[in-house]
Amino acid sequence: MRVLEGIDVAAMKRLHPDRRAPLWWGVLGLITIESAVVLAFCVSYLYLAAHAEVWPPTGEAPPLLWPSVNLVLLLLSSVSMFLAGQGINRGNKKQLAIGVTISVVLASIVLVLRSLELMAYDFGWQEHAYGSIVWTISGFHYIHVTSMVLGSTVIAILAWRGYFTRERQIGVVVDTNYWYFVCIAWVPFYLLLYWGPRIHAG
Amino acid sequence: MTRQHTNLQHKVHDSPEETKLLAETWYSPRGFPGWFTQVNQRMIGRRFIITGFIFFLLAGILGLLIRTQLAGPEQEFLGPELYNQFFTMHGTVMMFFFAIPVMEGFAIYVVPLMVGTRDMAFPRLNAFGYYIYLIGGIVLFGSLLIGMAPDAGWFNYVPLAGKEYSPDYGVDIWTTMITFIEVSALTAAVELIVTILRLRAPGMTLNRMPLFVWAALVMSFMIVFAMPAVIVSSTLLILDRLVDTQFFLVDSGGQPLLWQHLFWYFGHPEVYIILIPALGMISTIIITFTGRPIFGYTALVLSVVSIGLVSFGLWVHHMFTTGLPQLGMSFFTAASVTIAIPSGVQIFCWIASLWGAKIRFATPMLWVLGFFAIFVIGGLTGVMVASIPFDTQVHDTFFLVAHFHYVLIGGAVFPLIGALYYWWPKFTGRLMSEKAGKWSFWLAFIGFNVTFFPMHQMGLEGMPRRVYTYTAEMGWGDLNLLSTLGSFVLAAGFGVTLINAIWSLYRGQPAGANPWNAPTLEWATESPPPSYNFRHIPMVESRWPLWDWQRSGERSVVTGLSHWRREVVLTSVLDATPIGVQILPKPTIWPFTSAVAASSGFIGIIFHPIFFVMGFFLVFFTLVAWFWPRRPWKEDE
Repeated sequence: MRVLEGIDVAAMKRLHPDRRAPLWWGVLGLITIESAVVLAFCVSYLYLAAHAEVWPPTGEAPPLLWPSVNLVLLLLSSVSMFLAGQGINRGNKKQLAIGVTISVVLASIVLVLRSLELMAYDFGWQEHAYGSIVWTISGFHYIHVTSMVLGSTVIAILAWRGYFTRERQIGVVVDTNYWYFVCIAWVPFYLLLYWGPRIHAG
Repeated sequence: MTRQHTNLQHKVHDSPEETKLLAETWYSPRGFPGWFTQVNQRMIGRRFIITGFIFFLLAGILGLLIRTQLAGPEQEFLGPELYNQFFTMHGTVMMFFFAIPVMEGFAIYVVPLMVGTRDMAFPRLNAFGYYIYLIGGIVLFGSLLIGMAPDAGWFNYVPLAGKEYSPDYGVDIWTTMITFIEVSALTAAVELIVTILRLRAPGMTLNRMPLFVWAALVMSFMIVFAMPAVIVSSTLLILDRLVDTQFFLVDSGGQPLLWQHLFWYFGHPEVYIILIPALGMISTIIITFTGRPIFGYTALVLSVVSIGLVSFGLWVHHMFTTGLPQLGMSFFTAASVTIAIPSGVQIFCWIASLWGAKIRFATPMLWVLGFFAIFVIGGLTGVMVASIPFDTQVHDTFFLVAHFHYVLIGGAVFPLIGALYYWWPKFTGRLMSEKAGKWSFWLAFIGFNVTFFPMHQMGLEGMPRRVYTYTAEMGWGDLNLLSTLGSFVLAAGFGVTLINAIWSLYRGQPAGANPWNAPTLEWATESPPPSYNFRHIPMVESRWPLWDWQRSGERSVVTGLSHWRREVVLTSVLDATPIGVQILPKPTIWPFTSAVAASSGFIGIIFHPIFFVMGFFLVFFTLVAWFWPRRPWKEDE
């Protein structure tokens, strides 16, 4: 059989800073899986709430202030992540490093605030199903914020060392996408855990 | 792309030096240390398949022991405790440790070859998934050897699986290991999706994709959307058992039915996750052994996709006896009956493909025909149990056992064994014996029906599942004895295939590149394929590239990939136009270390929650080592 040269790919790009890269799709897959987990947690919360006579059992919804502050901080950290990515798109390594660092600091503040808030809860996870689901969802999101802080710290270290360039930045792109996911995942949890009982009771 | 193809008509010259260099670049390290670093998709796929079949053998032996216990009334061969452990492990291992991994193993091995590329999109992740699966399987099965196996059934219902009624480690091991190995299923699913969407050979548009690749794609999407539910449900149960949360405890506001909803939201699609790749195997085998294009390619693709979608709306039909609202139940009855439509479309397309064709009745084709007989019976009883009054009557009886074995063994295992005979020459370079293959088929086919058909009658006579014995007055003894005899014939049938496989490795007839005259790309390379899969990435102009090439006597390939670095062509999602080149990683130890780190956390939490924190940080450090850019960075460009 004659074998003919159909197409020559020697000159094609080897580095892909965008959705041409398989890793971009891989992280999208991870986000899809985790979104399904978020959804399953929300459904579990609603299922338990729907079958309860009083929800929460004390009749009082948890305080609104600090979770709202966390929401704002998480959204702000997404903005600084976005600006960091804009920087490296123009080849500005400094803007990338500073942007990622700011995001990491903002999310770390969230972790501190969340820790204080959880410690102040007057119910444990052993007491009732409400406590169990609230602590589990909180723990789930807390672990995710911790993961993204750790992961992005590594990205920040590499950024300060000048590893990333306009072409070689798929690591930044996928880390940013995951960051958006963790921040946005807080929105349904926030609405469900803090507004849900208020709307339900009101 | 096709424009360029017509402009360039240079003949490709393969220099032996370049081929040798390419083989070295894609070489998988051998030997004991090498085993922990391999990342090539064929190595990983082969491991999934072999490990999966070992679990099939082990769980099959458990099945035989269960049947031996039930052969006559009031036997004390196993006793109730061991019987509970055995049927739980039989179901759990068959579903989670055999069926899904072996289907994924076939997909991991065959799909990259079928789409004409050299590896999968994330080779290291592939290896990671395998180690997770292996460690999880060893721990779960190990629990049986020390007499601490889970014993609450394969769907592990609370409150039986709660701490109060199952205080031992068995259910802890079940919940942690199921969560753990779902990670493996999920990594393989993402891996397959990205490989199928981005690494297809130039010209292989979605519309030209082999049907097995379509099936693997749908299976992977189903895994992505279904598995998270079982991860969440088993996480909630782990928390209930280990740190005293109250999710499933009624006294403090918990809901036992939440478990059933989450479990079956996963569990029903799970059945189709196993079935759909088998449907792809059947289409593949039918095309090859009729020697002509399949009837209704588009209809087959659409019906596979719609089976995938509809299967997410069926889970409540496992819960008809739990007292749910009438309207909801009616919806799920309707949905359950609906799934017969795409399944019927498949069957009719296959019948049309077989009609008037010169069928070669080789062993793979026999297993497919066996599928037809068995699966249609399983499908009919499926329509019966979709109706609520009937289901209420036969719920938790042997009728159900008969039904789902007809669907699962008929629907998945028969095509799987057919596919094993079909792709065996590609895996090993040698054909299995046709004569032994036919013996194996007929023994398994007869044995299967003798084992499971009487169970319909036992169920209608009221014999319940999951009960270790029965009294002689019930009058179930004769049918049970018949069923037990059948199960040994069935096992002998599979045993013949096992011996045939081992025998063929040494004595089998050498296969050559394309022994069946099949039309898809995996047959375009040597058997077994070289380390780099294809000397040149092929280009495709129809659904049947090998038949095209035979007619025209020429074919086009991609040139310009590096020989000293692992490179594959990236193509666009819909029409597979080349858009770039991706560099893939070399063999590495880090996936193995990450898997060990993750398993230390998962196994540890059974004993103390602190292992979760430890596992978390260990995994983090190994992942950093895994992804840390290797100098010199320049090499990437």
